Amino acid sequence: MREQIHAALARSKADYTEIRLEERESTTVAYRGQDLETAQAVIDAGGIVRAMCHDGGWGVVTFNDRSDLLEKVDQAYECARVAQSEQPIELAQILISEDRLSVNLEDDFRGVSLADKKALAERYNQILLTHSDKIVDTHCTYNDTFSHVTFANSEGTYIEDERPMVTIYTVAIARDGDNVQTATESRSGQEGFGFVQERETLAEAAAQRAVALLAADSVVGGQYPVVLNPRLAGVFIHEAFGHLSESDFVYENPRAQEMMVLGRRFGQDILTVYDDGSLPGLRGTHKYDDEGTPTGRADLIKDGILVGRLHSRETAAKMGESPTGNARATGYRYPPIVRMTNTAIEGGDISFENMIRDIELGVYACDMYGGQTALENFSFSSAYAYMIRDGAVAELVKDVILSGNLFTTLMNIDAIGDDFSWSKSGGSCGKGQGGLPVTFGAPHIRIQDVVIGGK
Amino acid sequence: MDLLSELQRQADQVEVVEIESESTEVGFEANRLKSSQVEGTKGVAVRVVVDGKLGFAASSDMSALDRLVTNALESAAYGDEIPIVFPGHQEAPQVRTYDQAIVDLPIAQLVEIGREITDHILQIEPDAQVNVALERGVQRASIRNQAGADVSFERSPLSIFLEVQRVKGDDVLMMFDMHGTTVWDEDYMGFVRQIGEKLERAKRSATLKSGHMPVLFAPEGALVLGLPLMLGINGKNVYTGVSPMRDKIGATLFDGKLTLVDDATIDAKFASAAYDDEGVAHRRNVLVEQGVLHSFLYDLKTAVQSGVESTGNASRGLFNPPSPSPTNLIFQSGETPLAEIIAGIDEGLLVEDVLGLGQGNVISGAFSNSLSLAFKIEKGEIVGRVKDVSIAGNIYELLREIAAVSRESKWVYNSFRLPYVLLPDVNVVAKK
Repeated sequence: MREQIHAALARSKADYTEIRLEERESTTVAYRGQDLETAQAVIDAGGIVRAMCHDGGWGVVTFNDRSDLLEKVDQAYECARVAQSEQPIELAQILISEDRLSVNLEDDFRGVSLADKKALAERYNQILLTHSDKIVDTHCTYNDTFSHVTFANSEGTYIEDERPMVTIYTVAIARDGDNVQTATESRSGQEGFGFVQERETLAEAAAQRAVALLAADSVVGGQYPVVLNPRLAGVFIHEAFGHLSESDFVYENPRAQEMMVLGRRFGQDILTVYDDGSLPGLRGTHKYDDEGTPTGRADLIKDGILVGRLHSRETAAKMGESPTGNARATGYRYPPIVRMTNTAIEGGDISFENMIRDIELGVYACDMYGGQTALENFSFSSAYAYMIRDGAVAELVKDVILSGNLFTTLMNIDAIGDDFSWSKSGGSCGKGQGGLPVTFGAPHIRIQDVVIGGK
Repeated sequence: MDLLSELQRQADQVEVVEIESESTEVGFEANRLKSSQVEGTKGVAVRVVVDGKLGFAASSDMSALDRLVTNALESAAYGDEIPIVFPGHQEAPQVRTYDQAIVDLPIAQLVEIGREITDHILQIEPDAQVNVALERGVQRASIRNQAGADVSFERSPLSIFLEVQRVKGDDVLMMFDMHGTTVWDEDYMGFVRQIGEKLERAKRSATLKSGHMPVLFAPEGALVLGLPLMLGINGKNVYTGVSPMRDKIGATLFDGKLTLVDDATIDAKFASAAYDDEGVAHRRNVLVEQGVLHSFLYDLKTAVQSGVESTGNASRGLFNPPSPSPTNLIFQSGETPLAEIIAGIDEGLLVEDVLGLGQGNVISGAFSNSLSLAFKIEKGEIVGRVKDVSIAGNIYELLREIAAVSRESKWVYNSFRLPYVLLPDVNVVAKK
């Protein structure tokens, strides 16, 4: 295939051309309630050609039939001639790489039988179902995916990459009359089958919490000091702040440029936020992004000050900054756009006990249920929460929705815990192209004066 | 290799679905022609029944058909035991979903339409950022099974997406709409003019006090009411017991002005076709008639699970087995002209668009949405845009009393047809 790729690239009339081919095999076992929904394997193979003309625009062709790459390159060039950029598109320089990456999974899931995968999902589903007669519905899904990705561009970069992912996902739905409560636990990583084995505690936690939430009262709305658990703190920084650091959003939006001026103070000195696609073992990790740029750490907020943002080659050139290796694509159907990888709030030095010790009345909000952001305004619902009373975690409460202004809220972060962790649940980011694996990292954090809307 | 005959030797029932499509898209971003994209899709999905157990496999790699066969048989070996029966040949209605005029549309004309749309909006609102995506394509699919079904489709979808953003100081207004057809439609500017009218109307502002009041849902806004219904009538949610409408066939659940129909047999619409994705003939399904629940939507599997017949509502992507889904979902329009409905409102709210559609516990009927575009109605007239307003309630309570349903209706998100719906008493919260 390598020869065909080179031949096609050599023929391109565009100023820049890239080809990305992908072969992906995926196994899914899904239970819903008592029923097995499916136990299946699918094969997905396809590719994308992206071509750029300085005086035109980007042209993109995606396909399953990889037999005639020359034709696809011509089509992409024709598409690139259709678009008309007002300013010529430039790409920031990157090193030309030639690399063949292969993963060596311990307990490779490709060698595990469908029978064993089904047995695993069935066992976790049974734990969900039998926990209580209040559990009326469940979802339990096992998925593994192994992708071979080949990337090459007209500058000479050629990379072969292997991308494994294994995920177990459990949901318990409990009902008591009209009161229906849902709890979710999951685990996902670029790992082998062992990563999701012996994780009965996930299903147990989901089932227990769904039932416990039936008896929980709704939180009383108001302004509280709020402690976020690491998972919620990580999702919060990704959603509310991270997306604003993505330069494709900034460079076309004057309002966002104003907001995101480098050097602006975003938080107290204790706050440091970064994105790093090179950390081993995390879901958002790859050696190269989908433009062939090596990944690495990009500091976004350092000691409270905005110091950087995330780039593709195009946005970096446009803003006169350096590419950060954040051009990512959700598979061969999509051109890369600026995305986060593994995004984190750096750990601090306060223990959880000390963080809540002085809180007379507050909320301890855990995990994310859903949320929406619109520029600087955000609204998140936590999956479950507890009241904090007189310095101790007290009763479980539900319907906790945190909302507010991002800048005020970041400035109000006044304690950062010493218990940093990367979430092992299956974080995905839906920006533009649907789910792309990312990881959220954070310790416990405390935020003063958060508006909590109850029901 | 002919998959059907190959698999028939090893399985009791076999279904082979083949798809092939190509589409071309041009995109305008921030008022400028930004990108052009061609997408070609090809793949095959099979289902087999071996010893009463159902298996599924799919592949977009036509050079790996032997592995597809192995995967399908292995899937069945560990599959779900279900007495599903693939249908034989069925007579189906004629439904028009293909137009050579769309297939032959030159890229230059797509670009020209995009410009016409952008210019129309910028004329009304010179500071707006307009994003337009125009996509035309051709899709071919065939469904064959061992029982004799041999169905093929040809469709020529054309879709136009329009997004308008206007930022003035702290005021952000975002609007979105789309137009979809499979038969060339001269009036492709109709939905653009409507967005233009809303933009014009949004230039005036008004204030509103919290409280219970009559709320008029425009077709887009009425999705707040339609979405829970759509989930509730889905046979899968009925079978799993999460639909609040389960066990309620024959019961009067709603006001007599509510009639809900699923109809895939309308010419030119996006979700239209002669057959569903399992080769079952499409038909018009009346789900709710004058407030009385008549039927749910089923595919073959959920129908067997529920002891009923498929309603012809199987829907699938290449890489997933079918599941029941509405086709074109229609909230039947009523008798009253819209102008008359508005004229009769002393003080109320017109909801055009909401934020967070589908967020929260939708299937329970509960909704709580802030409104991205809403207008105050005062003494029978629309007086101006209101901001920082949200609505909340439960459709299963609210739809028991509908004050009026308009004669006018509109296709929303390509496959919903909704009228204006006036509810007499909804909880509206306005931030002070």
